[in-house]
Amino acid sequence: MSKPALMRHMPQIAHVDVNCFYASAERAFNPSLEGRPVVVLSNNDGCAVTRSPEAKALGIPMGEPWFKLAPRAKEWGLVARSSNYELYGDISARVMELLGRYSAWLEVYSIDEAFLGVKGTPEELLALGRTIKTTVRRNVGVPVCVGIAGTKTLAKLANKWAKNNPAFGGVCHWDSVPATDREALMRRLPVIEIWGVATRLTKRLNVLGIRSILDLQGADPVMIRDRFSVVMMRTVLELQGTACIPMEEERIGRDQLIFSRSFATPITTAAGMQQVLSVYGQQASARLAKHGLQAKVLTAFAATSHYNPKDTSYPSVCVALPMPTADPVLLTRAAHALLPHIHEGIRYAKAGIMVTDLRPTSNQAPLATFENQHEERRIGTLLEDVTRRYGRGSIGLGHAGIKTGLDWTMKRDMLSPRYTTHWDELPLVKAA
Amino acid sequence: MGVIIGPRVIDAGSSLLSVLISPVPVAAGYPSPAQDYFDGRIDLNEHLIKDITSTYVVRVSGESMEGAGISDGDELIVNRALEPKDGSVVVAVLDGELTIKRLRITGAGVVLQADNPAYPDIRVPSLSDLVIWGVATRCLHHV
Repeated sequence: MSKPALMRHMPQIAHVDVNCFYASAERAFNPSLEGRPVVVLSNNDGCAVTRSPEAKALGIPMGEPWFKLAPRAKEWGLVARSSNYELYGDISARVMELLGRYSAWLEVYSIDEAFLGVKGTPEELLALGRTIKTTVRRNVGVPVCVGIAGTKTLAKLANKWAKNNPAFGGVCHWDSVPATDREALMRRLPVIEIWGVATRLTKRLNVLGIRSILDLQGADPVMIRDRFSVVMMRTVLELQGTACIPMEEERIGRDQLIFSRSFATPITTAAGMQQVLSVYGQQASARLAKHGLQAKVLTAFAATSHYNPKDTSYPSVCVALPMPTADPVLLTRAAHALLPHIHEGIRYAKAGIMVTDLRPTSNQAPLATFENQHEERRIGTLLEDVTRRYGRGSIGLGHAGIKTGLDWTMKRDMLSPRYTTHWDELPLVKAA
Repeated sequence: MGVIIGPRVIDAGSSLLSVLISPVPVAAGYPSPAQDYFDGRIDLNEHLIKDITSTYVVRVSGESMEGAGISDGDELIVNRALEPKDGSVVVAVLDGELTIKRLRITGAGVVLQADNPAYPDIRVPSLSDLVIWGVATRCLHHV
């Protein structure tokens, strides 16, 4: 008798992500975009990186260059937006902070998705998923879907299912779906659809007769480990229901870098957190430099442990960097914006930073070094003060000079206002 | 010398607005005994924003809410988490635009009113026919 009771309370994992995040963030402040095809373009207004369902229905492929879409935009009623990373970063921070209230165990996985540890009966879990969906939509203003299962891999699959099958109403609890339906889904979906299987590996899997997700689930984990890797073996085990994917400490997404870590000993002071954030700032700097990238927006977050459900705290802040940078000093200073939100005495088990709005290092890169040298003489601070008071481009260093700035090289013709981070760009409400 | 009085608006982080105000004028070389009791500046976030995740600041464009003391160019603090009630000042979505109105819920139906007789009421059969974006909790009126 004790076993079924225990089973009911086995911890499960909820995977929450925002539907077409960038397009949804735009719609939150511009309801006229609701129901219309919307694409959000990559840096320099290059190509479509987010498509609303209406845009997908038009047959616009992911990554389609804007110059190909532009001539037909009017005929389609297609709306394009430049990437507004400050807006997306702030909305992301709000979603993550809100999600933290539903679980003592939160893992921010990317700018628009997170894993939460959850417990309860199937009915309770479904109800929790629906509450999360409704509350994020109402409170923050963006739609999410929720997948709940025993492992991260299955939770991600459940979420994908919830997104693609309207019958779920946006929330899928894997174990509550009849086994025959789950099998049918896994038989139908090619192995590439599962989280953690890289495109280059699918051919090798196919050679072994592993074509569908169901095939992979039935594979021998040891054989998979020997022929592929421990990573692929974990995917197989997760499909079989054994949770074994740990939190990754460094993740590289399409347009973001994340550095996060769980601490062996909880951090209980702002001073301790300052050190950790400094380390991340330097790691991010090194990683950006390695890839020849600079970032313009940084998000810093921290979380309390799930072992201590009392005194929970999930602070998250989004900072617009003064310029695109890979400078460790600037990145670290930005990460320290989290410190005022750290409560002394609370036991933080985890912290991280995420950098977004990445672009290739411009050929004016020496400017960052140059400015860095002046840092010690407080010229950096002086520049910031002048810029804050008189606006961007009112003062500059050396050949960057007045009215330049690295941002100038970035084409963003269709940028919406930074509604939530700039006082002079607040959303307008009509009183008429 | 100098009186340290804000406002200073910081645009970074989750702080929608951080206004630093020292409670007393500070005279150099003349320590005020009252300062012994000063343990932190007034943080408007703390007093005006109940939930940082669901609160947005918007700016009013137009005169239809003058009667409620809300003028063109004023900023409103809007909480999306609140349940709109009869009498709430709400941001509603009308024809794809964010619009500010006073919500009236009566037995006969739901009405969006302007607080200015020059503007007509908008009637809908029930609350579910409306998209309410958020409920205004404060007006930052320019005096």
